[in-house]
Amino acid sequence: MSFYRELENHVHEQLSRRNFLSKTSLGLGAAAMASLLNADDSMAKKVIDGTPEGASLPLGKPHFAPKAKRIIYLFQSGAPSQLELFDYKPKLEQMWGQDLPESVRKGQRLTGMTAGQSSFPLAASKYKFARYGPSDLMISELMPYTSSIVDDVTFIRSMHTEAINHDPAVTFFQTGSQQGGRPSWGSWISYGLGSDNQNMPSFVVLLSKGRGGDQPLYAKLWSNGFLPSVHQGVVFRSGPDPVFYLNNPEGIDKTSRRRMLNSLAKLQQAQFEKILDPEINYRMSQYEMAYRMQTAVPETMDISKEPEYIFDLYGEESRKPGTFAANCLLARKLIEKDVKFVQLYHQGWDQHGNLPNDIKTMAKSVDQASAALIKDLKQRGLLDETLVVWGGEFGRGAYSQGKLTKDNYGRDHHPRSFTIWMAGAGVKKGFVFGETDEFGYNVIKDPVHVHDFQATVMHLLGVDHERLVFKHQGRRYRLTDVHGKVVKPILT
Amino acid sequence: MYNLLLQSSDWALFIGRFHPVLVHLPIGFLIITALLEVLRRFDKVIVSESVIRLLLLLSAIGATLACIAGYLLADGGGYDHELLDSHMWKGIGIALFAWIAWLLKSDLLTARLKTAPVLASSLLLVATLLTFVAGHDGGSLTHGADYLTQHTPEPFRSLAGMPAKVVEIAELGPIADVPNAIVYVDIIKPVLERTCTQCHGPGKQKGDLRLDNLTAMIKGGKEGPAIVVGKSAESELIKRCLLPLEDEKHMSPKGKAQLTENQIALISWWIDQGASEDKKVAELKTNDAVKPALASLGSSAQNEVADKTTSEPEIKVALGNPQAIEALQKVNFLVRPLAHGQNLIEVSAVNKPGLTDEQVGLLKPLSEQVIWLKIGGTKITDNALKAISGFKNLKKLHLENTAITDAGLDALKDMPHLAYLNLVGTKVTDDGLKKIAALKGLKSVFVWQSAITEKGIEEIRKTHAHIQIVGGLNEESVAEFVRLGEAKTLN
Repeated sequence: MSFYRELENHVHEQLSRRNFLSKTSLGLGAAAMASLLNADDSMAKKVIDGTPEGASLPLGKPHFAPKAKRIIYLFQSGAPSQLELFDYKPKLEQMWGQDLPESVRKGQRLTGMTAGQSSFPLAASKYKFARYGPSDLMISELMPYTSSIVDDVTFIRSMHTEAINHDPAVTFFQTGSQQGGRPSWGSWISYGLGSDNQNMPSFVVLLSKGRGGDQPLYAKLWSNGFLPSVHQGVVFRSGPDPVFYLNNPEGIDKTSRRRMLNSLAKLQQAQFEKILDPEINYRMSQYEMAYRMQTAVPETMDISKEPEYIFDLYGEESRKPGTFAANCLLARKLIEKDVKFVQLYHQGWDQHGNLPNDIKTMAKSVDQASAALIKDLKQRGLLDETLVVWGGEFGRGAYSQGKLTKDNYGRDHHPRSFTIWMAGAGVKKGFVFGETDEFGYNVIKDPVHVHDFQATVMHLLGVDHERLVFKHQGRRYRLTDVHGKVVKPILT
Repeated sequence: MYNLLLQSSDWALFIGRFHPVLVHLPIGFLIITALLEVLRRFDKVIVSESVIRLLLLLSAIGATLACIAGYLLADGGGYDHELLDSHMWKGIGIALFAWIAWLLKSDLLTARLKTAPVLASSLLLVATLLTFVAGHDGGSLTHGADYLTQHTPEPFRSLAGMPAKVVEIAELGPIADVPNAIVYVDIIKPVLERTCTQCHGPGKQKGDLRLDNLTAMIKGGKEGPAIVVGKSAESELIKRCLLPLEDEKHMSPKGKAQLTENQIALISWWIDQGASEDKKVAELKTNDAVKPALASLGSSAQNEVADKTTSEPEIKVALGNPQAIEALQKVNFLVRPLAHGQNLIEVSAVNKPGLTDEQVGLLKPLSEQVIWLKIGGTKITDNALKAISGFKNLKKLHLENTAITDAGLDALKDMPHLAYLNLVGTKVTDDGLKKIAALKGLKSVFVWQSAITEKGIEEIRKTHAHIQIVGGLNEESVAEFVRLGEAKTLN
């Protein structure tokens, strides 16, 4: 009896209600993970147990053999206009200046920025389109370099989303929910597949801007949400100090750092034994990861050994840290080091007005480097194992926002249709999927919802989006919520 | 009047459905009463007579209510009559015995009848035992007769004299010879047995419908025939399946296993083609709608998730030697199963830039299991390749940026599946390229920054057009790329 009394006291002392709850919920999550990993199968167990440091990390194996081992997502934040770049609509030229027929819009909601307009004059692309390559794909003159890689690319012209404004739409793409708080896509992948390179995080984020004054981005987009914190995206900046707080403070050398970490680990271990919160272990494995990154990151980010012609390939801007081109080059270097998910964000695509000029600036800031990345991955034999995705959070409307003149117009947000492209492992080459109507307004063939797109990318990475789940606050969550269908026709 | 009747039948079913809830009250009460009674006999607990009396009264009331609800529920129909009868009488028996036991315990009878306490205890025991039997009948009525014992594991199975477990129909296996398969027997019936006959079969006939044989399907149930031969669109069976999941009449019920699109297509096609019991696939006319469904039968793709999910052919190998895997991990190799449920493994030296030839030798015991191997960017030489010669399942091999030469490539000749070979930044020459071009399975080889020349590539392309030989960029080609791009760039 006294034993039980003692035990009870001990538990009461050590476990606050909150700790207990979070412990048990994580315990359940871990159990779910264990079943995903089929941890009872002895080999998997060996593989999991064999990881140095973070034995508690859910190191996964895919549900089925993956076609893509890694992904580079070139996210074009602000929503590039598909009508100027990828989706050619001659009808807009014929009907230039006429009102968008109500039969097309069918009362669809508009943003507050154009809902009050008395007319919706159709605006044609100022830029011409031409056909390229053996696959004979149409692409705009704004993308001269991209036009040289169309034979490696699948264009999805029938993307559609639910959100109409930037923040919810980007959040929807990145976390599967319009409201923040859910784990980011990269975190899900890190959680499900683990990391190959023990010295680098499996989810890395790179940021760039094509133009000032555009939509902001937030850390919630690469947050781990309710997943263990080891799966958070790590932002790498360009320049000598890529990761915040990674370098030792002045006066602290590597040995002191090591000793400090060893002592800290003892304290953390004692704390863990007391309150059994797995986040303590995750935190410790983050410290260790940071320690290893102190050597690994400068090595990876060192571009001084790149030959001149590789810089030429990515374009003049690739020599300038923090540009999209420089980030594309870094992305390649990260992929070479087997980082699983490299998430680039490039800001500046929100052309409500002055579209012709601004989109030209933007296209120039990404065109050469995007094409160069594909070519560079290809010659290294990496495109066969890596998936590259290029696209924004929604599209832009067929009618002009504000005054329409021959040389100037703007376009408002348009969730009903937009284009993204993918290249690399497991997707068809020189292929177009989906179709919009002659105004580029509604999808008329093979619509691809954001959740379908997510399901497809997960599929390529060997993950069944319906089976990568995490139980949190009493319900099971997944990236695609209860939706998503793999778009099989674009797969090889 | 009609309205009132309708309403009353609603009431009946409403109350009836509480049967499964109510039924557990007397079960619990009786067991606890019996337990207390026994323990009391052995002086293990102190319980007054009045507590036992109260418990017996509660048991009796509970059992009576459960009987009433059960009767109303049974009125809804759809159960096996024999089993239902036996269940009902056992239930009534329990209620009756409980009442009598309670009466016998009353002061009035205890005083006059000497044997009353013994009698009461015996009745209580009988009633308690009856709950087990009746409860089992009830379970069989709801879940099917073999529900409880269906998953009896060995050796209890043989000990109990039960037949060996039939492979569950739940996994519909691939059909080897689709054109010669008999449509009803080989395709339709297994699907129905998996999804429908649990409620519409020999055990239970919800809505008086049976779907376990063709005659019964055409005869139909309460709401008419299940299939109209030649007209799938008018067949209730198909209509029910196509209703939205939320619809009350949708079949199978929400939460139960659903028919897939392919399965519905197949059943519709079979009905349209005359719902024959013995015709083969080849004897019926196919149409566009059913083709993909028929195609799916041949592969293991019947469970829809399974199709097109793997980039690798299914190669069955034994589980890798755990000690060998451990040895690899000890020297910091990354070892991963290719996928869930597969013994094939992927091995990478991404965390091991200092990898030596000797350490590659550690892979030998896993010669069957390794399908992807990444040892590029390390200190290995040709000797390392000798260690992996005869890795017959190897499909992807990364040797980039190593000191590999032509001589080492001889070791690859017995790798019929090798499809991807990365030789970027090696010393391999045109002679080496010739050697590997002979590999049967080779699809892509990457030769950028190796000693392989443009001319050597051209030669192999002529004779081996199916191999994709990927060269790469150099100063001139990049200059050309930039020149072309700039020429097209708008000012």
